[in-house]
Parts: sequence; C-alpha cells; structure tokens
Amino acid sequence: MMKIKCLKACTCALAIVMMAGAVTVARADAAPSASATELRDAAAKAPTTATLANGDPGGALTGTVSDVPVADTKAGITLADVANQVGQNKIAVNFTWTLICGFLVMFMQAGFAMVEAGLCRVKNSNHTYMMNFFVYGCGLFAYWIIGFAIQMGGAAGNGNLGGLQSLATEHAITLFGTHWGIFGENGMFLAKHTYDVGAMVIFLFEMVFMDTALTIVTGACAERWKFLAFAISSVLMGAFTYPLFGNWAWGGGWLAQLGTNVGLGKGYCDFAGSGVVHAVGGLSALAVALIVGPRIGKFNRDGSSNAIIGHDISAVMIGCFILAFGWFGFNPGSTLGASAAGCLRIGSIAVNTMLAGCTGTFGAICYMWALKGKPDASMAGNGLLAGLVAITAPSGFVNTTGSAIIGLVAGVLVCLSCVFVENYLKVDDPVGAISVHGACGLWGVISVGLFADGTSNYGGSWNGVTGSVTGLFYGDASQLVAQLIGCATLIGFVFTFSFVLNWIIDIIVGQRVSIETEIAGLDLPEMGQLGYPEFVFAPEPDFMRAAEKAAVA
Amino acid sequence: MAATKSQGKSFTLFMVGLTAACAGIAYFTTGVGKVALLIGLVAVAISLFEFFKIKPLEGRTGAGAQPAALKLAGVVVVLLGWVVVLLGLHLTAGVGGRMVMSIIGIAISLGGIFFLLAPASSKNAIWKA
Repeated sequence: MMKIKCLKACTCALAIVMMAGAVTVARADAAPSASATELRDAAAKAPTTATLANGDPGGALTGTVSDVPVADTKAGITLADVANQVGQNKIAVNFTWTLICGFLVMFMQAGFAMVEAGLCRVKNSNHTYMMNFFVYGCGLFAYWIIGFAIQMGGAAGNGNLGGLQSLATEHAITLFGTHWGIFGENGMFLAKHTYDVGAMVIFLFEMVFMDTALTIVTGACAERWKFLAFAISSVLMGAFTYPLFGNWAWGGGWLAQLGTNVGLGKGYCDFAGSGVVHAVGGLSALAVALIVGPRIGKFNRDGSSNAIIGHDISAVMIGCFILAFGWFGFNPGSTLGASAAGCLRIGSIAVNTMLAGCTGTFGAICYMWALKGKPDASMAGNGLLAGLVAITAPSGFVNTTGSAIIGLVAGVLVCLSCVFVENYLKVDDPVGAISVHGACGLWGVISVGLFADGTSNYGGSWNGVTGSVTGLFYGDASQLVAQLIGCATLIGFVFTFSFVLNWIIDIIVGQRVSIETEIAGLDLPEMGQLGYPEFVFAPEPDFMRAAEKAAVA
Repeated sequence: MAATKSQGKSFTLFMVGLTAACAGIAYFTTGVGKVALLIGLVAVAISLFEFFKIKPLEGRTGAGAQPAALKLAGVVVVLLGWVVVLLGLHLTAGVGGRMVMSIIGIAISLGGIFFLLAPASSKNAIWKA
C-alpha cells in the first residue's frame, strides 16, 4: 500500500514537473532569456559539493537542478536539458515499473511449481518440480530465438516505453481489401535494431507471460508425461503456438484490428492475458492431456473416476499465495508504465485483481461446502486462481463491482468445469489446469465484452480506435462480438494447432512414459533421483493397486 | 525406457538445429544465413529421426492406441468452427448477425472437442479393458 502511495506521489510529482516543463517551453518562445536566467539562478543556488559533503539527513539537498545532465557545460543548463531529463524520467519510471512487475510474474513460476507438485503424488514430485523448472529455460530460449519476433516484431508504437520503433515490421495479408496482421518479423535473438533498451524491457515482460502459459500444460499432464516430449512440446509452444496468438491480440495482429478494420468495438481486448496467456495455456493443456491420456487408476472400468490425492496441501496453499502475489505484476504491470495517460489506473487494476481473487475463493469454497459438505482446500486454491485468471483480461476496463462478479462466477465455474472435464470428457487433469486456465480464461475474455464500463482511457484510444473499451452492459454489443471471435480463435485455432503439434510429437517421440515407469513413479526412471529420498512411501489405495496390476497384465 | 543418454543427445541436437535454423532465418539475406538455415534444418531432421528410432524402447504405455481417423475428424470439425466465425465476419455486417455466427462457430468447435476428440482419445483406453 505504501509503495503504491509512494508511486502515485512520484508519478504526480513527475506530471507536475512535465507540465512545468511544457509551460516553461511555451514561455521560452516568448522570453527565452528570462527562463534561461531562472535556470541559471536555480543552478547557482543549488547546493555545492562542499555542502553535500556534510551529508543530507533530511533529503532536501539531494536531487536538485545540479543533478540534471548538461549538454554544453559552457552554456550551462538550458530548457532542452530540462525537457530531455523530464522525458528520461517518464521512460525511466515506466521501465522500472514494467521490469519490477515482470520480476513479480517471473516469481509466479515458483508458485506454479509448488501448486502442481503439491497436487501430485510424492513418487512424482521431482519430475513435476523439474518440469516447472525446465519449462522456464525451454520457453525463454525459444522465445529469444524466434517467439518474441513472431509476437512483438510488429508492435511498434507504445509511447510508454519510448516508442519501440525497432519493432515495426508486421507481416500482413490482404483479405477482402483489408490488411490483417499475421506475425511480426523483427526481434529474432534481439539482434540488429532490436538491440534496444525499450525492446529489452518489453521482451522481459512478454517473456515471463509466455512462460506462465507454458507451465500451465505441465500441471494437466503431470505424473505420466515423458520428460523428453515435455521439453520438445514446451520449446515449440514458446516458439510458435503462444507467440502467434500473442501477436494477433497484442502485437498489432488481426484480432486487435477488428475494431479498425470491421468496426467491432475496440478490437479484441485482453488487458493482461486471460485469453493470450491463460486460455492458450489451458486449451493447450487440454490438447496434450487428450493425447497423453489419463493416469493409470484414474478411471474405473465403468467410467467412474477415483480421486488421486496429492502429497502436500501446504505446498499447494503457499503456491497459491505466491501466484496471487505475482498477479500484482501480471495485471497492473500490463499498463506498461506508471507515467502516461491512464496509467494511474494501476491502483484500480490492483484492487480489481485482489477482489476477483477473493470472490473466486468464496465462490469455490461456498460451492464445495454447500454441495459436498467440506470447504475443499485444493478447490479453494483453484477458486482463488480462477478468479485471478478471469479478471486478468478485464482488470483494466472494469469497476470493482464488475470484478467481484467476474471472480465469483469464475469460482463456481471452475468447480463445475473440473467435474465436466473429469466425468464427461474423461480427461485426467491432476491440478485442474484446464478448468482454472482454460474455462476461466475464456470466461475472462467474454467478461470484457460484458462488464467493461467505458471509463478506462489509456491515451484516448485502444487498438487504434478512439474511446474507451465498453461492454454490452454499458452499451456496446460489438465489443462482445470481438471477444467472442477471440474465444472462437482460441478454441478453433490455438487448440487445434496445439493438438496437431503434440500429435506429431506423439508419433515421432512418444508423449507418455511406459506403464512400468508410471507405476514406479517418474522420479527415479525419468529424473534419476527421488524428490523425497528419505520418505517411506505409503501403500497405494486398493483401487490403484488393482488398476496397476491390470495395466501391467 | 525412461530418460536415457540417447534422448539427451537427440534433444541437444534438436535445440542446436532449431537455433541454427532460426539464426539462418534472421540472417537469411546473407550467405552465412542460408548455410545456417540449411545446417539447422538438417540437424532438426536428424534429431527427429533419432527420436523416432528410440521411441519403441519406451515399451507399452498407459495411453493405448487411439483411432487416428476419428481424431482427424475431430480436428477438422474444431477448425471448421473457427472458419465459420471468420466467414461470418464477411457474410454479415450487423453486430447481431456476427454475434450469432460467432456463437455457432464456437459451438461447432466445442462439439468437435466434446463429441469427437474426447471420445476418440478414450476409445481404446486401458481403463476400459
């Protein structure tokens, strides 16, 4: 809270300095000598090095006109020097904000690792932790060599980060006389013109988002996914699957152009990634889980399912809190700055994020408690995450009432979806990733088209369309259509692309470990080391032993 | 089979090949770029061949063999739903019409997942045996 207050104070101060600078520049046209004199006076009154050598316990002497770099020491400080410093300060604030938020999102990997490993059996803990660990490297490397270029190679124009003009080449096709962006072309290896300070910042921020999507899949396929297949699948997802949709939504691609090209609201709007990150991850998880198949013992011969209990609920709960903490980087950080038009909405975005997580938890706990008799811990955690996933897309466009409703719906939806995925689709998802990220990610995308209240104004336009993002409940039905087209693309294209890609991997590499490996636990055969070598494993339940016996036979 | 040295070597070759291929694309206008692309693609192809060669060593898995034709039909239907939505953008200019087409498209795609791909993936599941 103090940090947010301090940040607000700094941003306000900066805005005042910028306004003062603008006024001074305007005055300079009329009376340059007067302004120049004022600056020289201020420089003359600045504390000397001898004064500063005595220390500055009150902080009043540090940070004065003498700290403004001067281009020509003979001429002394000029208005141009001050204006340049104001510009540098604005970009510096935005860089710092975006980077720190990116660091928070990176830390979410630890939360995912704890949640997923905690929900798996102890004999697979090392393997699950290792997947969550290695997916970071796989994704980062793939994104560096090509993924970033595909996603953001044509995303120039963000003034918050200095314009990003080195990312200005979008490959487009022309259909029915309209240009539609398909993929970016600049930025492979961050070489050539993208060896640029702004490009580095946006790379780091987008990269950690991408890695979040990748790590979702590891949860749905835990306890039977061959490590080799996982590694190849993750590299290809980081290189192609995620960046393609990321470009269409955030990189100036055709979904973002739905507003300018065919008049659908402000185009597809996904503030921080319910669709781009979570639905892509959740639907890819569904695709891979369909191919990998359920764990031995998950389903009985009559089609009924068994609960396979995870080994560490404390890790799950702590992991959920780490994720909730990291989400404050995810959503408020997506302003890509704290010092620009509309960026002071970061407080509102942060509160929306908290609220949706809260009501999501309530939704899941109340649903489970009322219908099953117990406030199930793992579903409570999933409820928190469901609310956070759902608010990710609308967080920058809705008010607190909207965010509370979105989170509450997500909390109930995740419970219903888990039952549907397990009992009707017969898909085994040990951590509920398909429901949390896939179903609630899609809900988040749709909710923008319903709840966006038309008060957000990030520089006067969004996706090149003048005005604020406004949903159906506030008078713009066309925004909902844009969101539905985004959902259709996620289900129709992203899911299909992931399914085909992983089907090919299954044919060439094989996605699943052998029956013997699965029964023994993946830690020793796949990783060469038990997660908890000093543990004495409790015997498997009867249904599991019977299923294992049948599988071997 | 579990993890082996062969897997590790092939994966390393795959990553080197992919990196070289991407470097080749990035610098395709130069002669070195074209050579890098060629070398990268060859390396990726060799690694895929190696993956395929060692795949049988894994032995029997718990996934079971699933009908490819049904899976393919599912993939086509899911994709078809998306195409319907895209066509809907150009067939009608009204918000209501586009919304209806979008919902129809999503329903087709979901139908492909729920009624074709999911049953295909569990048709010969070992838990049914």
